[in-house]
Amino acid sequence: MKKIINSPENFVNEMLEGIYSAHPDMVKPVAEDVRCFVSAKKINGKVGIATGGGSGHLPLFLGYVGEGMLDGCAIGDVFQSPSPEQILEVTRAISSGAGVLYIYGNYNGDIFNFDMAAEMADFEDGIKVETVVAGEDVASAGPSAPGQKNTRRGVAGIFFVYKCAGAAAAEMLNLAEVKRIAEKACENVRTMGVALSPCTVPRVGRPSFELGEDEMEIGMGIHGEPGIRRGKLASADAIVDEMLKPIIDDIPYAAGDEVAVLINGLGATPLEEQYIMYRRVSQILKEKDISVYRAFVGEYATAMEMSGASITLFKLDDELKRLLAAPANTPFFKQMQL
Amino acid sequence: MIRFNKIKKLFEQWSIIMLSNKKYLIEIDSVAGDGDLGLTMSDGFKAAYLAVADSEETDIGKIFYKAGKKMSSAVPSTMGTLMASGLMQAGMALKGKDVLSLGDIVQLFEAYKQGVEFRGKAKAGEKTFLDGIAPAVDSLKEDLAKGETILVAARNALKASEKGSEMTKTMLAVHGRAATRGENSRELLDAGSVVAVLLMQGFLEFVRLIESGHSC
Repeated sequence: MKKIINSPENFVNEMLEGIYSAHPDMVKPVAEDVRCFVSAKKINGKVGIATGGGSGHLPLFLGYVGEGMLDGCAIGDVFQSPSPEQILEVTRAISSGAGVLYIYGNYNGDIFNFDMAAEMADFEDGIKVETVVAGEDVASAGPSAPGQKNTRRGVAGIFFVYKCAGAAAAEMLNLAEVKRIAEKACENVRTMGVALSPCTVPRVGRPSFELGEDEMEIGMGIHGEPGIRRGKLASADAIVDEMLKPIIDDIPYAAGDEVAVLINGLGATPLEEQYIMYRRVSQILKEKDISVYRAFVGEYATAMEMSGASITLFKLDDELKRLLAAPANTPFFKQMQL
Repeated sequence: MIRFNKIKKLFEQWSIIMLSNKKYLIEIDSVAGDGDLGLTMSDGFKAAYLAVADSEETDIGKIFYKAGKKMSSAVPSTMGTLMASGLMQAGMALKGKDVLSLGDIVQLFEAYKQGVEFRGKAKAGEKTFLDGIAPAVDSLKEDLAKGETILVAARNALKASEKGSEMTKTMLAVHGRAATRGENSRELLDAGSVVAVLLMQGFLEFVRLIESGHSC
């Protein structure tokens, strides 16, 4: 293991201390617990949006706490869920009378803890909490039948859900409306990833899986969950072709549709390679007569130093477009009005 | 009857039994899961025990609730939160009681099971903890109807739980990482169901301990 750290045990807390020190005007801890992370600005009467999850994915999840996006985030150990108590603390801190919406990725541990926190918030404080669970990795499971539980993992596409729900809350829409927007964003976002090399959890000290020097795994999850195909490393264009087809087929799209695209680096893949991927994505979308409203390229949801990338398409209508275009100012994502 | 001042001994037994089975749980969880079950169960039940070890509380329901809440913050992993939910639900069911009859014991484990069921959205037969606990609850109910002693009921409940856990080797996994293996998951022993067996084993030890000691 080769990392710039002081000790594996202090990895998460020292990372957080660094973020608080760097952005004191934007974020602060709740009381003494650095794992309970909230925006420095609280707007009265606004729906509070909380998220949370394991560490090791920066900018996810806490990086999107700030103006125009999220209000708070509960932070767990690397790849581990935060506790219900921590989620409850964040919920209390961001609640300002209009209710709180939880938006997080589709992982069992997180679901259990957020559900428990929601019950405690209702029972102990009378705070109304609604929940939207994002799961959009098309490689992780098939589409769920109506009324069936979504079994897909949540990955980078949650960025679009945060962005639209956050903008809706900033417009002072009510809890039911903000939830509707978040659900609509979830329904229109699809992602697939590819991994080229693994990452090492500091307290474990060795890579979480092995991948040969000349191998890649299409569809691998951001904690190293198995993908759909392992094979020889292919060209950028061939990789994109293989990843984009199931993403497009899953919605599906028609000529004339409009999308936002997210090319997301998993931590150790340079921007150069990400733009080589975007080049191909843009060619394919042009061929299909799908227009790109906005492209986002960079690190939005990583897996420590894993190399690889994911592609996300977000199908837009006028409402989602308006919300995506709204300004945002967080430690890790800044955007002027588009 | 079991008085409130003995209940911390139950948490002590659970803590001891999870610790002494730490390696075994890690081993069976590593087959299909991520192998941390031994750590979360030994850390979690230790935290639960420490939360109530020095408590002056006389309300048995509150003791369970407090232990569960402590466990949920100590080990917020999937199984940690499920066990915490079980303890908290048991706490709600036993609220206001300072002594437990066999009927209350049935309530305790029934509520524990329901807490886990509700949180995990799982049913018996889906290769989980529930397949170890549900037969134990049924056995406790039967013995209550027959008018058996708590000791006999605890012994039978453990046997029922062991049998139920063994049956998971014929079940298809629906939840967790094992589910991604599909049909290949069928012959595996479910590690969660083993936790249920350990809970019943700890309960039997506890009953033996208080029955062999002075009456309460």
